[in-house]
Amino acid sequence: MALLELKHVEKSFVHPNGVLRVLEDISFSVAEGQFVAVVGPSGSGKSTMLRIINGLIPASAGEVLYQGRQVDGVNPEAALVFQSFALLPWLTVKANVELGLEARGVPPAAREKRAAFYIDKVGLDGFEEAYPRELSGGMKQRVGLARALAVEPRVLLMDEPFSALDALTAISLREELLDIWQSRDLPVHTIMLVTHIIEEAVELADRILVLSAHPGRLVADLTVELKRPRDRRKDSFNALVDKVFSLIEERG
Amino acid sequence: MPSSTGINPIPDCQITWIIGLLETLEDRGGRDDGYKIARELNFNFGDLLKVMKAAEILNLVSTPSGDVQLEALGRRFLASDINQRKLIVREQLKQHGLFNYLIRLLRAQEDHALTREVVLEHLAMVLPNEPPEALFATVVNWGRFAELFGFNKDEDRFYLDQE
Repeated sequence: MALLELKHVEKSFVHPNGVLRVLEDISFSVAEGQFVAVVGPSGSGKSTMLRIINGLIPASAGEVLYQGRQVDGVNPEAALVFQSFALLPWLTVKANVELGLEARGVPPAAREKRAAFYIDKVGLDGFEEAYPRELSGGMKQRVGLARALAVEPRVLLMDEPFSALDALTAISLREELLDIWQSRDLPVHTIMLVTHIIEEAVELADRILVLSAHPGRLVADLTVELKRPRDRRKDSFNALVDKVFSLIEERG
Repeated sequence: MPSSTGINPIPDCQITWIIGLLETLEDRGGRDDGYKIARELNFNFGDLLKVMKAAEILNLVSTPSGDVQLEALGRRFLASDINQRKLIVREQLKQHGLFNYLIRLLRAQEDHALTREVVLEHLAMVLPNEPPEALFATVVNWGRFAELFGFNKDEDRFYLDQE
Protein backbone atom coordinates (compact mmCIF):
# COMPACT_ATOMS: atom_id res chain seq x y z
CA MET A 1 0.00 0.00 0.00
CA ALA A 2 1.21 3.50 -0.78
CA LEU A 3 2.00 5.66 2.22
CA LEU A 4 0.34 8.60 0.58
CA GLU A 5 -2.07 8.82 -2.30
CA LEU A 6 -3.85 11.65 -4.08
CA LYS A 7 -6.85 10.80 -6.26
CA HIS A 8 -8.20 13.42 -8.65
CA VAL A 9 -7.50 16.27 -6.25
CA GLU A 10 -8.87 19.66 -7.28
CA LYS A 11 -8.59 23.01 -5.60
CA SER A 12 -10.41 26.20 -6.53
CA PHE A 13 -10.68 29.50 -4.74
CA VAL A 14 -13.77 31.64 -5.16
CA HIS A 15 -13.10 35.36 -5.48
CA PRO A 16 -15.34 38.33 -6.41
CA ASN A 17 -14.59 38.04 -10.14
CA GLY A 18 -15.08 34.32 -10.42
CA VAL A 19 -13.43 31.06 -9.58
CA LEU A 20 -9.67 30.53 -9.60
CA ARG A 21 -8.72 26.97 -10.42
CA VAL A 22 -5.44 26.22 -8.65
CA LEU A 23 -5.12 22.45 -8.91
CA GLU A 24 -6.77 20.21 -11.46
CA ASP A 25 -7.04 16.43 -11.40
CA ILE A 26 -3.89 15.67 -9.40
CA SER A 27 -3.32 11.95 -8.91
CA PHE A 28 -0.18 10.18 -7.71
CA SER A 29 0.99 7.98 -4.90
CA VAL A 30 4.15 7.98 -2.79
CA ALA A 31 5.77 4.90 -1.27
CA GLU A 32 7.46 5.03 2.11
CA GLY A 33 11.15 5.90 1.84
CA GLN A 34 10.89 8.09 -1.25
CA PHE A 35 12.29 11.55 -1.60
CA VAL A 36 9.88 13.34 -3.93
CA ALA A 37 10.44 16.82 -5.28
CA VAL A 38 7.60 18.88 -6.69
CA VAL A 39 8.61 21.55 -9.20
CA GLY A 40 6.60 24.01 -11.17
CA PRO A 41 6.39 27.71 -11.99
CA SER A 42 4.65 30.14 -9.67
CA GLY A 43 0.92 29.69 -10.00
CA SER A 44 1.24 25.91 -10.27
CA GLY A 45 -0.34 25.43 -6.86
CA LYS A 46 2.58 23.34 -5.55
CA SER A 47 2.54 24.93 -2.09
CA THR A 48 -1.24 24.60 -1.97
CA MET A 49 -0.89 20.92 -2.79
CA LEU A 50 1.55 20.45 0.08
CA ARG A 51 -0.89 22.08 2.49
CA ILE A 52 -3.71 19.87 1.26
CA ILE A 53 -1.52 16.79 1.83
CA ASN A 54 -0.75 18.01 5.35
CA GLY A 55 -4.44 18.61 5.93
CA LEU A 56 -4.07 22.31 6.66
CA ILE A 57 -6.54 23.15 3.89
CA PRO A 58 -9.18 20.89 2.34
CA ALA A 59 -9.28 19.86 -1.32
CA SER A 60 -12.29 21.12 -3.30
CA ALA A 61 -12.71 17.66 -4.81
CA GLY A 62 -10.89 14.34 -4.86
CA GLU A 63 -9.28 12.36 -2.10
CA VAL A 64 -6.08 12.44 -0.08
CA LEU A 65 -5.31 9.05 1.42
CA TYR A 66 -2.72 8.35 4.07
CA GLN A 67 -2.04 4.64 4.53
CA GLY A 68 -5.22 3.99 2.61
CA ARG A 69 -7.41 6.16 4.80
CA GLN A 70 -8.82 9.53 3.95
CA VAL A 71 -7.06 12.44 5.68
CA ASP A 72 -9.51 14.36 7.81
CA GLY A 73 -7.98 17.49 9.31
CA VAL A 74 -4.27 17.90 9.98
CA ASN A 75 -2.32 14.66 9.54
CA PRO A 76 -0.47 14.02 12.83
CA GLU A 77 2.12 11.89 11.01
CA ALA A 78 3.18 14.70 8.69
CA ALA A 79 5.15 17.84 9.55
CA LEU A 80 5.79 20.98 7.52
CA VAL A 81 8.94 23.04 7.13
CA PHE A 82 8.40 26.54 5.79
CA GLN A 83 10.45 28.90 3.62
CA SER A 84 10.00 31.67 6.21
CA PHE A 85 11.17 29.36 9.05
CA ALA A 86 8.02 30.39 11.02
CA LEU A 87 9.86 30.75 14.34
CA LEU A 88 8.47 32.65 17.29
CA PRO A 89 10.94 35.50 17.94
CA TRP A 90 10.22 35.71 21.67
CA LEU A 91 11.05 32.05 22.26
CA THR A 92 14.50 30.45 22.49
CA VAL A 93 15.65 27.75 20.09
CA LYS A 94 14.75 25.08 22.60
CA ALA A 95 11.27 26.51 23.21
CA ASN A 96 10.67 26.84 19.47
CA VAL A 97 11.57 23.17 18.96
CA GLU A 98 9.32 22.10 21.84
CA LEU A 99 6.39 24.10 20.52
CA GLY A 100 4.98 21.43 18.22
CA LEU A 101 5.30 18.83 20.97
CA GLU A 102 3.40 20.97 23.41
CA ALA A 103 0.61 21.36 20.86
CA ARG A 104 0.47 17.56 20.53
CA GLY A 105 0.17 17.04 24.26
CA VAL A 106 3.61 15.51 24.89
CA PRO A 107 4.38 15.82 28.64
CA PRO A 108 7.18 18.27 29.65
CA ALA A 109 9.87 15.71 30.53
CA ALA A 110 9.42 13.80 27.27
CA ARG A 111 9.25 17.10 25.38
CA GLU A 112 12.60 18.15 26.73
CA LYS A 113 14.25 14.84 25.94
CA ARG A 114 12.93 14.72 22.41
CA ALA A 115 13.78 18.35 21.67
CA ALA A 116 17.34 17.75 22.92
CA PHE A 117 17.68 14.71 20.63
CA TYR A 118 16.63 16.60 17.49
CA ILE A 119 18.56 19.73 18.39
CA ASP A 120 21.61 17.48 18.46
CA LYS A 121 20.69 15.83 15.13
CA VAL A 122 20.53 19.11 13.23
CA GLY A 123 23.73 20.48 14.78
CA LEU A 124 22.14 23.04 17.08
CA ASP A 125 23.78 21.84 20.29
CA GLY A 126 25.07 24.94 22.03
CA PHE A 127 22.31 27.15 20.54
CA GLU A 128 19.50 26.02 22.87
CA GLU A 129 19.11 29.34 24.65
CA ALA A 130 19.68 31.56 21.60
CA TYR A 131 16.81 33.64 20.24
CA PRO A 132 15.98 33.57 16.52
CA ARG A 133 17.25 37.15 16.13
CA GLU A 134 20.74 35.99 17.16
CA LEU A 135 20.81 33.34 14.41
CA SER A 136 21.80 33.33 10.75
CA GLY A 137 19.24 32.12 8.19
CA GLY A 138 20.92 28.73 8.05
CA MET A 139 20.68 28.25 11.79
CA LYS A 140 17.05 29.44 11.75
CA GLN A 141 16.13 26.81 9.19
CA ARG A 142 17.90 24.16 11.28
CA VAL A 143 15.51 25.18 14.09
CA GLY A 144 12.56 24.84 11.69
CA LEU A 145 13.82 21.38 10.72
CA ALA A 146 14.38 20.29 14.32
CA ARG A 147 10.88 21.44 15.22
CA ALA A 148 9.36 19.43 12.38
CA LEU A 149 11.47 16.34 13.15
CA ALA A 150 10.70 16.50 16.87
CA VAL A 151 7.09 15.50 16.31
CA GLU A 152 8.54 12.33 14.72
CA PRO A 153 6.54 12.47 11.50
CA ARG A 154 6.61 9.68 8.95
CA VAL A 155 6.36 12.25 6.18
CA LEU A 156 8.32 15.47 6.11
CA LEU A 157 6.74 18.14 3.91
CA MET A 158 9.04 20.98 2.93
CA ASP A 159 7.82 24.15 1.22
CA GLU A 160 10.75 25.89 -0.54
CA PRO A 161 12.88 25.34 2.57
CA PHE A 162 16.10 26.70 1.06
CA SER A 163 14.76 29.34 -1.30
CA ALA A 164 15.20 32.24 1.12
CA LEU A 165 18.82 31.30 1.83
CA ASP A 166 22.04 32.33 0.09
CA ALA A 167 23.86 29.75 -2.06
CA LEU A 168 26.47 28.61 0.46
CA THR A 169 23.89 28.17 3.21
CA ALA A 170 21.59 26.23 0.89
CA ILE A 171 24.44 23.93 -0.22
CA SER A 172 25.24 23.13 3.37
CA LEU A 173 21.65 22.52 4.45
CA ARG A 174 20.85 20.31 1.44
CA GLU A 175 23.72 18.01 2.38
CA GLU A 176 22.54 17.92 5.97
CA LEU A 177 18.98 17.12 4.89
CA LEU A 178 20.24 14.17 2.84
CA ASP A 179 22.19 12.93 5.87
CA ILE A 180 19.04 13.12 7.97
CA TRP A 181 16.95 11.37 5.33
CA GLN A 182 19.51 8.57 5.02
CA SER A 183 20.05 8.24 8.76
CA ARG A 184 18.51 5.02 10.04
CA ASP A 185 17.95 6.12 13.61
CA LEU A 186 15.32 8.71 12.65
CA PRO A 187 11.69 7.77 12.05
CA VAL A 188 11.23 9.94 8.95
CA HIS A 189 12.08 8.22 5.67
CA THR A 190 9.71 9.99 3.31
CA ILE A 191 10.21 13.56 2.18
CA MET A 192 8.18 15.71 -0.16
CA LEU A 193 9.92 18.92 -1.09
CA VAL A 194 8.42 21.76 -3.10
CA THR A 195 10.91 23.93 -4.93
CA HIS A 196 11.19 26.21 -7.93
CA ILE A 197 14.91 25.45 -8.16
CA ILE A 198 15.23 22.59 -10.64
CA GLU A 199 18.87 21.82 -9.76
CA GLU A 200 17.77 21.36 -6.15
CA ALA A 201 15.14 18.81 -7.16
CA VAL A 202 17.60 16.88 -9.34
CA GLU A 203 20.24 16.90 -6.64
CA LEU A 204 17.99 15.66 -3.84
CA ALA A 205 15.07 13.63 -5.10
CA ASP A 206 14.39 10.06 -6.23
CA ARG A 207 11.45 11.30 -8.17
CA ILE A 208 10.31 14.65 -9.58
CA LEU A 209 6.70 15.67 -10.10
CA VAL A 210 6.37 18.50 -12.59
CA LEU A 211 3.33 20.78 -12.38
CA SER A 212 2.08 23.24 -14.97
CA ALA A 213 0.59 26.59 -13.99
CA HIS A 214 -2.94 28.10 -14.09
CA PRO A 215 -4.24 25.60 -13.19
CA GLY A 216 -1.66 23.25 -11.71
CA ARG A 217 -1.73 19.92 -13.51
CA LEU A 218 0.66 17.04 -13.18
CA VAL A 219 2.53 17.06 -16.50
CA ALA A 220 5.37 14.68 -15.70
CA ASP A 221 6.43 12.14 -13.11
CA LEU A 222 10.14 11.43 -13.52
CA THR A 223 12.35 8.93 -11.74
CA VAL A 224 15.83 10.24 -10.99
CA GLU A 225 18.29 7.43 -11.67
CA LEU A 226 21.48 9.41 -10.93
CA LYS A 227 23.75 7.81 -8.34
CA ARG A 228 24.35 9.58 -5.03
CA PRO A 229 26.25 11.68 -4.15
CA ARG A 230 25.23 13.57 -7.26
CA ASP A 231 27.67 15.71 -9.14
CA ARG A 232 26.23 18.92 -10.54
CA ARG A 233 29.01 19.14 -13.10
CA LYS A 234 28.13 15.86 -14.81
CA ASP A 235 26.41 15.83 -18.20
CA SER A 236 23.77 13.39 -16.98
CA PHE A 237 22.87 15.83 -14.18
CA ASN A 238 22.55 18.76 -16.55
CA ALA A 239 20.63 16.72 -19.10
CA LEU A 240 17.97 15.99 -16.49
CA VAL A 241 17.86 19.64 -15.39
CA ASP A 242 17.32 20.65 -19.03
CA LYS A 243 14.60 18.04 -19.45
CA VAL A 244 12.66 19.26 -16.40
CA PHE A 245 13.18 22.85 -17.49
CA SER A 246 11.76 22.17 -20.95
CA LEU A 247 8.74 20.37 -19.46
CA ILE A 248 7.98 23.46 -17.40
CA GLU A 249 8.61 25.83 -20.30
CA GLU A 250 6.30 23.93 -22.67
CA ARG A 251 3.37 23.78 -20.33
CA GLY A 252 3.96 26.74 -18.03
CA MET B 1 44.72 43.58 11.22
CA PRO B 2 47.22 41.54 13.32
CA SER B 3 47.84 42.92 16.77
CA SER B 4 50.98 43.04 18.89
CA THR B 5 49.34 40.76 21.46
CA GLY B 6 49.19 37.84 19.01
CA ILE B 7 45.41 38.08 19.13
CA ASN B 8 43.79 38.32 15.73
CA PRO B 9 40.16 39.03 14.93
CA ILE B 10 37.88 36.54 13.27
CA PRO B 11 35.86 37.57 10.22
CA ASP B 12 32.17 38.24 10.58
CA CYS B 13 31.21 34.92 8.94
CA GLN B 14 28.48 32.35 9.51
CA ILE B 15 29.58 28.81 10.31
CA THR B 16 27.06 27.46 7.79
CA TRP B 17 28.87 29.41 5.06
CA ILE B 18 32.11 27.66 5.93
CA ILE B 19 30.43 24.26 5.60
CA GLY B 20 28.91 25.37 2.29
CA LEU B 21 32.30 26.44 0.97
CA LEU B 22 33.86 23.09 1.85
CA GLU B 23 31.02 21.19 0.14
CA THR B 24 31.43 23.38 -2.94
CA LEU B 25 35.16 22.77 -3.07
CA GLU B 26 34.63 19.03 -2.81
CA ASP B 27 32.24 19.23 -5.78
CA ARG B 28 34.86 21.22 -7.67
CA GLY B 29 37.69 18.74 -7.25
CA GLY B 30 39.15 20.34 -4.11
CA ARG B 31 40.36 23.65 -5.49
CA ASP B 32 38.96 26.61 -7.39
CA ASP B 33 39.27 30.34 -7.87
CA GLY B 34 37.47 32.37 -5.17
CA TYR B 35 36.12 34.95 -7.58
CA LYS B 36 34.82 32.24 -9.91
CA ILE B 37 33.02 30.47 -7.04
CA ALA B 38 31.36 33.71 -5.94
CA ARG B 39 30.25 34.51 -9.47
CA GLU B 40 28.93 31.04 -10.23
CA LEU B 41 27.03 30.80 -6.95
CA ASN B 42 25.82 34.38 -7.19
CA PHE B 43 27.34 34.91 -3.74
CA ASN B 44 28.70 38.28 -2.64
CA PHE B 45 32.46 38.26 -3.32
CA GLY B 46 33.25 40.33 -0.22
CA ASP B 47 31.42 37.78 1.89
CA LEU B 48 33.17 34.92 0.11
CA LEU B 49 36.54 36.43 1.04
CA LYS B 50 35.42 36.39 4.68
CA VAL B 51 34.38 32.76 4.38
CA MET B 52 37.74 31.86 2.82
CA LYS B 53 39.56 33.68 5.59
CA ALA B 54 37.43 32.05 8.30
CA ALA B 55 37.95 28.57 6.84
CA GLU B 56 41.68 29.27 6.65
CA ILE B 57 41.79 30.33 10.31
CA LEU B 58 40.24 26.97 11.15
CA ASN B 59 42.89 25.22 8.96
CA LEU B 60 40.18 23.71 6.77
CA VAL B 61 41.44 25.35 3.58
CA SER B 62 44.45 27.25 2.29
CA THR B 63 44.24 30.21 -0.06
CA PRO B 64 47.13 30.06 -2.55
CA SER B 65 47.08 33.07 -4.93
CA GLY B 66 43.35 33.84 -5.06
CA ASP B 67 42.41 30.17 -5.14
CA VAL B 68 40.89 28.30 -2.28
CA GLN B 69 42.03 24.76 -1.66
CA LEU B 70 40.56 22.08 0.56
CA GLU B 71 43.11 20.89 3.13
CA ALA B 72 43.36 17.53 4.90
CA LEU B 73 41.44 18.80 7.93
CA GLY B 74 38.72 20.16 5.64
CA ARG B 75 38.35 16.73 4.04
CA ARG B 76 38.18 15.14 7.46
CA PHE B 77 35.53 17.70 8.43
CA LEU B 78 33.41 16.80 5.39
CA ALA B 79 33.64 13.10 6.14
CA SER B 80 32.52 13.68 9.74
CA ASP B 81 29.06 13.84 11.25
CA ILE B 82 27.78 17.07 12.71
CA ASN B 83 29.05 16.38 16.23
CA GLN B 84 32.54 15.40 15.06
CA ARG B 85 32.54 18.59 12.98
CA LYS B 86 31.85 20.59 16.10
CA LEU B 87 34.80 18.91 17.81
CA ILE B 88 37.13 19.79 14.94
CA VAL B 89 36.09 23.45 15.09
CA ARG B 90 36.39 23.35 18.86
CA GLU B 91 40.00 22.08 18.77
CA GLN B 92 40.94 24.70 16.18
CA LEU B 93 39.35 27.55 18.12
CA LYS B 94 41.15 26.59 21.30
CA GLN B 95 44.41 27.33 19.45
CA HIS B 96 43.18 30.71 18.23
CA GLY B 97 44.52 33.69 20.16
CA LEU B 98 41.19 35.44 20.69
CA PHE B 99 39.31 32.32 21.79
CA ASN B 100 42.23 31.26 23.94
CA TYR B 101 42.21 34.67 25.61
CA LEU B 102 38.47 34.44 26.30
CA ILE B 103 38.75 30.88 27.64
CA ARG B 104 41.46 31.97 30.08
CA LEU B 105 39.47 35.05 31.02
CA LEU B 106 36.35 33.01 31.79
CA ARG B 107 38.31 30.36 33.67
CA ALA B 108 39.64 33.08 35.93
CA GLN B 109 36.10 33.94 37.01
CA GLU B 110 34.62 32.10 39.95
CA ASP B 111 31.50 31.03 38.04
CA HIS B 112 33.27 30.88 34.64
CA ALA B 113 30.99 33.65 33.37
CA LEU B 114 30.99 37.36 32.52
CA THR B 115 28.43 39.93 31.43
CA ARG B 116 28.32 41.00 27.79
CA GLU B 117 29.46 44.50 28.73
CA VAL B 118 32.67 43.24 30.34
CA VAL B 119 33.43 41.00 27.36
CA LEU B 120 32.90 43.97 25.00
CA GLU B 121 35.46 45.95 27.02
CA HIS B 122 37.98 43.15 26.70
CA LEU B 123 37.36 42.87 22.98
CA ALA B 124 37.80 46.63 22.55
CA MET B 125 41.04 46.44 24.50
CA VAL B 126 42.67 43.51 22.69
CA LEU B 127 41.33 44.39 19.23
CA PRO B 128 40.83 48.18 19.21
CA ASN B 129 40.26 48.31 15.44
CA GLU B 130 37.31 45.93 15.41
CA PRO B 131 33.71 46.90 16.16
CA PRO B 132 33.20 44.99 19.44
CA GLU B 133 29.47 44.28 19.10
CA ALA B 134 29.88 42.56 15.74
CA LEU B 135 32.91 40.67 17.00
CA PHE B 136 30.98 39.57 20.09
CA ALA B 137 28.13 38.27 17.93
CA THR B 138 30.55 36.22 15.82
CA VAL B 139 32.41 34.91 18.87
CA VAL B 140 29.08 33.82 20.39
CA ASN B 141 28.00 32.08 17.18
CA TRP B 142 31.25 30.23 16.64
CA GLY B 143 31.53 29.53 20.36
CA ARG B 144 28.02 28.08 20.47
CA PHE B 145 28.67 25.91 17.42
CA ALA B 146 31.89 24.59 18.97
CA GLU B 147 30.16 24.29 22.35
CA LEU B 148 32.99 26.33 23.85
CA PHE B 149 30.94 29.31 24.95
CA GLY B 150 27.34 29.89 25.82
CA PHE B 151 25.48 33.15 26.04
CA ASN B 152 22.21 33.67 27.87
CA LYS B 153 20.71 36.97 26.84
CA ASP B 154 18.06 37.00 29.55
CA GLU B 155 20.61 36.49 32.32
CA ASP B 156 23.27 38.57 30.51
CA ARG B 157 25.72 35.77 31.00
CA PHE B 158 28.58 34.81 28.65
CA TYR B 159 30.05 31.58 29.94
CA LEU B 160 32.35 28.63 29.37
CA ASP B 161 30.13 25.88 27.98
CA GLN B 162 32.13 22.79 28.94
CA GLU B 163 35.73 21.90 29.68
